[in-house]
Amino acid sequence: MTYSAKLSTRAGARHILGRWQAQQPWVRALLRYGLAVAGVALALGVALGLQSLNFREVAVPVLTIAVALITWYLGTGPSVVAVLLATSLFDYFFVAPLYTLAVSAEDLPYFFIFVLWALIVASFSAVRRRVEENLIQARDHLEVEVQQRAQRETEIESLNRELAKRAGELETANRELESFAYSVSHDLRAPLRHMVGFSELLQSQAAASFDDKSRRYIRTILDSAKRMGDLIDDLLAFSRIGRAETRKAAVNLEELARDVIAEVGPAAKDRNIVWKIDPLPVCFGDRSMLRIALVNLVSNAVKFTRMRKQAEIEIGCVKADGAEAELFVKDNGAGFDMRYVDKLFGVFQRLHLREEFEGTGIGLATVQRIVSRHGGKVRAEGVVDQGATFYFSLPTIGKAAERSA
Amino acid sequence: MATLGRILIVEDDPNDVELTLTALSEYNLANEVVIARDGQQALDYLYCRGEFADRPDENPAVMLLDLKLPKVDGLEVLQKVKSDEQLKMIPVVVLTSSHEEKDMMRSYRLGVNAYVVKPVDFHEFVNAVRELGAFWAVVNVPPPGSVKKAP
Repeated sequence: MTYSAKLSTRAGARHILGRWQAQQPWVRALLRYGLAVAGVALALGVALGLQSLNFREVAVPVLTIAVALITWYLGTGPSVVAVLLATSLFDYFFVAPLYTLAVSAEDLPYFFIFVLWALIVASFSAVRRRVEENLIQARDHLEVEVQQRAQRETEIESLNRELAKRAGELETANRELESFAYSVSHDLRAPLRHMVGFSELLQSQAAASFDDKSRRYIRTILDSAKRMGDLIDDLLAFSRIGRAETRKAAVNLEELARDVIAEVGPAAKDRNIVWKIDPLPVCFGDRSMLRIALVNLVSNAVKFTRMRKQAEIEIGCVKADGAEAELFVKDNGAGFDMRYVDKLFGVFQRLHLREEFEGTGIGLATVQRIVSRHGGKVRAEGVVDQGATFYFSLPTIGKAAERSA
Repeated sequence: MATLGRILIVEDDPNDVELTLTALSEYNLANEVVIARDGQQALDYLYCRGEFADRPDENPAVMLLDLKLPKVDGLEVLQKVKSDEQLKMIPVVVLTSSHEEKDMMRSYRLGVNAYVVKPVDFHEFVNAVRELGAFWAVVNVPPPGSVKKAP
């Protein structure tokens, strides 16, 4: 039998089985048992035929093959029927005394060997059938799994494509933002410089002929232009902090705090400020960015304690467990109303009038951006007219070591 | 009075030109000042081409260079100057509105001699220009080839 013919008979058998399975269960059972009986009858016919042609001892192999085939293809029930039927027929036709269901004493072993043989063949077949069924089930299960996996893979692929697209869009947006910031930096400052420059020239040339009102007008022009320059500079610095890469290393905050006070302090040398620096941990961060954050917080503290005879500014550390340290800058200045605490860190948000305290309203937003770029958080506490405390958390050097390990 | 070097200002904005000239004149810097309004004109001047074909052929004592220029931008001019054997000795001061680190890094990589951000405040601007002019055109000894103007 060629391979393709084998395949086609197998396909045919499967086709017939398929048609069976489509039938009612009782029709199916009837068909199976009927086939079992017919199979045994056919085997008996073959055995008797062969015997009449003077072949000896053919009944056992022919009947057992029939039992094996029936068990293989039709299942346990028909197999039991086939074994019983084959045994009876064997007894009737081939075991002495012939044509009775009795078994003579001398043929008893022969009969039992047949029964045993038929049972062994039947049970082997049954076992094989069960194994095959399990295998088929496992294969189907595997097929489903493979299908699901393929589906998941296509899903992942499409998600990846989407992600790549998004990344590309983000990059474009970033580039646009960068060129926008560049244009702002370059083109917005030039006219401003001219306004200031020519107003100054006008002031110096025509000052003598100006009355008080005109002088005040020109002063206002100059102040506003200067303020706009400050706003642009601060906004650019703020956007640069968002874009710049952070270069992180161990930063000794106590040292940094002293540096910052040395930088900010001289601007308020005619004031009475009591500085207090607690022991501060070594943190892991970008030194120049952390410096900007501290300068902002400390100059805020200096600015908002302006009305105190003796200003007290403290830089300290609330807690420094293994991974994170929470630090604070505390003053006894103007403070703020806790109702507006959410607005404190927004860009261009101010809680005081410009006549009281100058500023662009970007300082604390910058602080927040720097701290969040370090994976930390900012918060503030304040009481009107009693002072404010600004907290910020930073990863300590311990966490950095842990991360690189 | 010592002889004074020629100052080449490369600046497209007429207001900036006027402010720069005012700043220079306010401190009576009697240097000869040449203005180029874009990068192409600056290169024409440096290579004695076009309208500058018959200028005296000594190099300027200093070039004040804006970065954002029409046609040929400042960084290109800088690159041409610093890669030319005849011109690379000219001190170049970038005088720009740009605070961007990128511009500064590129300028220094190309071999700029100084990088100055134009201050918004007029007094600071005047001071910056005056000091630049005074340093590069008076105090600094220019490289050979930039013959000083007779007093």
